[in-house]
Amino acid sequence: MNIRKIIPLCTVVGFSFLSVGCDSPQVEKKADTKAAVVSVAQATTMKKSSVLETVKKRGSISCGVSTGLAGFSQKDEKGQWSGLDVDVCRGVAAAVLGDASKVQYKPLTAKERFTALQSGEIDILSRNTTWTQTRDTSLGLNFAGVVYYDGAGFMVSKKLGVKSATELDGANACIQAGTSTELAIADYFRENNMSYKAVTFDTSDQTRAGFESGRCDFLVSDQSQLYALRIGLQDPSSAIVLPEVISKEPLGPVVRQNDDEWFNVVKWVVNASIEGEYQGVTSSNANDLQANGKPGQKRLLGSEGDLGEKLGLSADWAYQVIKQVGNYSESFERNVGQDSPLKISRGLNAQWNKGGILYSPAMR
Amino acid sequence: MKEFKPLPDQPAPISTTGPIGWLKNNLFSSVFNILASILIIAALIAILPDMIDWLFISANWSGTTQADCVKEGACWVFISAWSQQIFYGSYPDGELWRVNLCLILLAGVIALSFILPARIRNQISVPAFLVLPFVCVLFLDGSYIGLREVTTNLWGGFSLNLLLAAASIIIAFPFGFLWALGRRSDMPFARSVSVTCIEFFRGTPILALFFMGSVMLPLFFPADVSVDKLLRVWIILILFMSAYMAEVFRSGFQAIPSGQYEAADSLGLGYWQKTLLIIFPQVIKVSMPNILATFVMVFKNTVFLLVIAVPEMLQVIMTALSNSNWLGGHAIEGYLFVGFIFWICCFSMSLLATSIEKKLDTSHKN
Amino acid sequence: MFSKKTAEQIKFETRPNRAGAKSFYNNPKYRGLIYQTILLLFLAGFFYSIVSNTLANMSAQGIKSGFSFLGSSAGFDVLMSLLPFQTTDSYSKIFLIGILNTILVSVIGIIFSTILGFIFGIAYFSRNWLIKKIAVIYVEIFRNIPVILQVIFWYSVFNTLPIARESFNLGDAIYLNVTGLYLPKLVGESGSGFVYSAIVVAIVCVFMLKRWAKNRQALTGAQFPVAWASLGLLTCLPFLALLISGMPFHFDYPALKGFNFKGGITVIPELISLAIALSVYTGAFIAEAVRAGIQSVPQGQTEAARSIGLKESKIMSLIIVPQAMRVITPMLNSEYQSLVKNTTIATAIGYPELFTVFAGSALNQVGQAVEIMFMTLAIYFLINMLISFVMNHFNKRSELSSR
Repeated sequence: MNIRKIIPLCTVVGFSFLSVGCDSPQVEKKADTKAAVVSVAQATTMKKSSVLETVKKRGSISCGVSTGLAGFSQKDEKGQWSGLDVDVCRGVAAAVLGDASKVQYKPLTAKERFTALQSGEIDILSRNTTWTQTRDTSLGLNFAGVVYYDGAGFMVSKKLGVKSATELDGANACIQAGTSTELAIADYFRENNMSYKAVTFDTSDQTRAGFESGRCDFLVSDQSQLYALRIGLQDPSSAIVLPEVISKEPLGPVVRQNDDEWFNVVKWVVNASIEGEYQGVTSSNANDLQANGKPGQKRLLGSEGDLGEKLGLSADWAYQVIKQVGNYSESFERNVGQDSPLKISRGLNAQWNKGGILYSPAMR
Repeated sequence: MKEFKPLPDQPAPISTTGPIGWLKNNLFSSVFNILASILIIAALIAILPDMIDWLFISANWSGTTQADCVKEGACWVFISAWSQQIFYGSYPDGELWRVNLCLILLAGVIALSFILPARIRNQISVPAFLVLPFVCVLFLDGSYIGLREVTTNLWGGFSLNLLLAAASIIIAFPFGFLWALGRRSDMPFARSVSVTCIEFFRGTPILALFFMGSVMLPLFFPADVSVDKLLRVWIILILFMSAYMAEVFRSGFQAIPSGQYEAADSLGLGYWQKTLLIIFPQVIKVSMPNILATFVMVFKNTVFLLVIAVPEMLQVIMTALSNSNWLGGHAIEGYLFVGFIFWICCFSMSLLATSIEKKLDTSHKN
Repeated sequence: MFSKKTAEQIKFETRPNRAGAKSFYNNPKYRGLIYQTILLLFLAGFFYSIVSNTLANMSAQGIKSGFSFLGSSAGFDVLMSLLPFQTTDSYSKIFLIGILNTILVSVIGIIFSTILGFIFGIAYFSRNWLIKKIAVIYVEIFRNIPVILQVIFWYSVFNTLPIARESFNLGDAIYLNVTGLYLPKLVGESGSGFVYSAIVVAIVCVFMLKRWAKNRQALTGAQFPVAWASLGLLTCLPFLALLISGMPFHFDYPALKGFNFKGGITVIPELISLAIALSVYTGAFIAEAVRAGIQSVPQGQTEAARSIGLKESKIMSLIIVPQAMRVITPMLNSEYQSLVKNTTIATAIGYPELFTVFAGSALNQVGQAVEIMFMTLAIYFLINMLISFVMNHFNKRSELSSR
C-alpha cells in the first residue's frame, strides 16, 4: 500500500486509540480498554472485582485526603503525611497488607472528592467527610463508620467582643465551598432571622487567610477544623471559638457501594482501633497481650478465634493496626489531642464508659 | 596665492550631543515629557531603594527553618527549604535522577533539532520528538522497565509543569495539523467535524475543561476502568492545544502562496505527498513564532491545575504556606518566586520567537 | 488546494470498462466518500460508547438526570448579586446571578484593558525614553506571568487593607477596607425621570452634532470644536433639568452599622482584584496588538503627515490609529474572548461568577455534572459569539475595500 492509504487509516486508528484513554501504565491492567469499548452494554452487569483483591494485587491502598488540614491530613516538607484521617488509611494498609506505609495519598478538593471515589481513582475517601443521608443514598457511596463526632461552630476574633453566635447578624462568613457547613449555616441564620454574607473559598487555608485578614468577621466550619485553623493563625490567642454548635457532623471514611467485602474491612479496622482502646490494648503492650491477654484482647489481636479469616484478612490484622498505628486514643492524642498543637479534648469522642459516645460493636 | 586652510571643526554645542543631548532629546523634549520624566524619576527614587533592600540586601538567604529568618527583609529560606518539593514535587529522593533524565532528554532533543544538518534533521528529530513523551512517562513511572514504581500522585512541582506542557505540545502537533487539514478539506463531513472540534476547544475556558476532566471524564469510561488523573489532564491539554495549533497551522496554510499548491497539483502529486513533502515544511517555517507563542500560553495554563489539586508548582507553594512550621505570611516571597520562574521561562521563549520571526521576516516595514 | 474537476473530467475518469478509467478506490470522489463514512462510523461508535457508559455509570451511582433541579431551592448564600437574593431561591436564580456577575466583570475588564492597552501601545512610540521603557517593561512582565498568579497576588494585596472599623476614608462618603470599597449611591426621587431623559436627549444631540460637524467639514473644510461642544451639552442639559426639577436626588452614604457598612454601593475586593488582574493581563496583550497594528502602517504615512505639518498627537489619532485598527481589530476580538474565558479564574479567590457559583457550589450540592457543565459552557459560547459578532461588525467597517 502506498503512503496515501496508510496515513489516513493510521490517523483514524490512532484517534480511536487515544480517545479511549488507554496506553497508560495507570489503567487497571485487568481491563483491556478496547474490549471495554466493544462490550459497553455488559459494563453495568459485569461483576466488579472487589477492591480487596485489587489492593492485595496492587500492593498499596489509594487514599483520598485533603490538600492540607492540620490534625487530619497534612503533608510536611519531606512529603510525609500525618493526621487522624491518614491514620485510618494507614490502619487499613496495616490490616490488609501488613505495612502501614503502603498507602498512596491523593489530595483532593472538596468539589472533586466524591467523583474521585465514584470513578475508582481512590479506594477510600478519608477526608473529614460528614456522614449525611444525601451523601449516603444518592452518590453510590457507603460511610464506613465514624472516626470523629464533630459539629459546626463559629470562630470569631476576640476584638469583635462577640460572645454568642446570635450576635452575628449581618456579618461576613468565611466558608469552604462544597461542604455541609455551607448549608448548615444558611439554615441556622434563617431560623434565627439573621442574615449573613457568604465569602466562599476552595480550601480551608484560604478561609483562614480570609479570616485573619479581616475579610470576614467569623469562620464557620467543623469545630475540629476551627481548632486546627486557629493554631495556624499568627496569634492563636486572638480568636475564640463560640460555644454554639449548630449541626451534627460525624466524620468518617467513605467507600463505594456494592462492595461489601471492602466495606466490612474498612468498617472493622475503624472498630478495631476503638475496641483496642476499650480493651486497653496499646501499641506498646500489643505484643505482650497477644500472648498473655484476657480472652477479649486475644480475640481482638488474633491469637484466638478466626475474626481475620471472616474478613478475608490474616489473623493478626487488628494486631498490625494497633501495633503500627496505635489504638484510637493514641491516634487521637497524637494528631488532635494533648500531644498535638490543637489540644482538643476528647469530649464526645471518648469511650462510652468514659463520658463520650464512641462504641464499637463486640468483636467476637 | 595663499592656500585656503579650512578652519578646524568646532565641537558641537554641548546640549546637542553626548549624554546631555541624549537627555534633552529623550527625556525632556517637550513640556509633557518634562513633567512625565520628573514624575517617573521621583516615583522610582521613592520605590526602588526600599524594594531592592527588602528583596536582596536585608533578605535571609541561608538556613533551614523559619527561625533562621532573623533579618527584616524577604525570607528566601522558605523557598530553599521547600525547593525540592517546589521543583520535583513529592518524587522520592533516590529516584530524582529519573526526572533529571527526562528534562535532559527534552533539552537534548530540542538541541538536536537545531544542530543537525537539514538533510537528516526531519528523519531524526521528528520521531525523537514523538517518542519522547512516552519514554519520559515510562521512566517517571518506572513499573514497566523494572525500576521502582513511582505513582503519578507523587509527581509534582515545576518539572511537572514543564514536562506536561512539552508532552502536550508534542502530541498536539500532529493532531492540530490533522484538524487544520480537515478544516480545509473538500469533504464536507470532515470539515464540519474539524470545525466543531476546533471551535469547541478554543471556546471553552481551560479551567472548565480541567474541571470536566476531573469530574465528568470518569463517567465516560466503563465502570471498572479507572483512568489516572494526570493522564486525563494530559488528554485534555492535548485536545486544547490541538485546537490552538490547528488555528496556527490554518494561518500558516493561508500564508503559503497558492502557487505552491497549484504547482504540486500540476506535478501530479497526490494529496498526502503534496501535504507532507511540499506544504508541511513551509508551514512549520512560517508558523514557528506562533507555535512558540502557543507553547508559552499552554505552559502558563498548566498553573490552572492548582484548582483541581494537582501538585504543580503554585499548588506546592500554597501547601507550603499553610504548613504549621512556616506560618507568618511568606506569601509574597512565594508568589514572587513563582512569578519570577515563569517570567524567566516565558520571556526567554518569546525572545526566541521574536528572533526567529526577525530572521524569517524579509518584508520592508517601518 | 484540490484541483476541482469539471464534469467532463469526472465523466472521463469514471467511464466504465475502458483503458484509463480510474479504478474504484483510486477515484477521489469515491475515496472521499469512503473516508467520510469511516469517520462517521467511528465517531458514531465513539459517542455511542461514551453516552451509554455515562448513562450506565450515572444510574449505577444513583445520580439523577434532567433539569428538574433548577426549580429546587439552593440553600446557600451568594456573596454578591446584582439581583435581590435569598437562600431559599432556586438554582435557576443562581444561574442568572452567575451570568450577570460574569458579564459585569467582563465588561469592566474589557473597558479597562482596552484603555490600558491603547495607552501602553501608543506609549511605546513616544520619544521619551523612560515612557517607552516603562511600556516595554509593563508588557513583558504582565504578559509572561500566569493570570491566576496575578489574581491571587492582587487579592492578597487587598487582604492587607485595614479592617472595617479602621477603614481608609474620603470624608464620609468613600470607605476602603479589607471587606471592600464603599461608595455613596445616588438615589432618584420622584422627579428623577426628567433628569434621566435629559441625559438621553443630550447623548442623542451629541451624536447628531458629530454627524453634522463631519458633514460641514466635508463640505466647507471648517472644523467645529465638537469635543468642547459635546462636553457642554452633556453637562449643561442635565444640569438645567436638575435645576428645573428641584434636585430630586439624594445620596445614600455607607455607614458602619454593626459588622459591616450598610447603604451605598459595595464593591467587593474579589471583584476589584479580578478586574485589576484581568485588565492588566489582557491590557498587556492588547498593547502588543496595538503596537503590531501601528507598526503595520507604512512609514510613508507618518512622513507625509509630518510633511503637511500635523502635530504628533494629531498624526497618531487621525492618521495612524484608524489605519492600524485594520490589524488591531481581529486581535482585539480574540483578546476579549480570552478575557471572558479567563474570568473563570475567579474560583481561586471566590468571586461568585458563573463558573464558581454554578459549576462549583451548585454542582457540589446537586451532583448532576453533565447538565450543569452543559449549561455553563453554552453561556460562555453565547457570550463569545456575541463578542465575535460585534467585533466582526467593527472589522468590516475598518477593512480596506481593495488590497
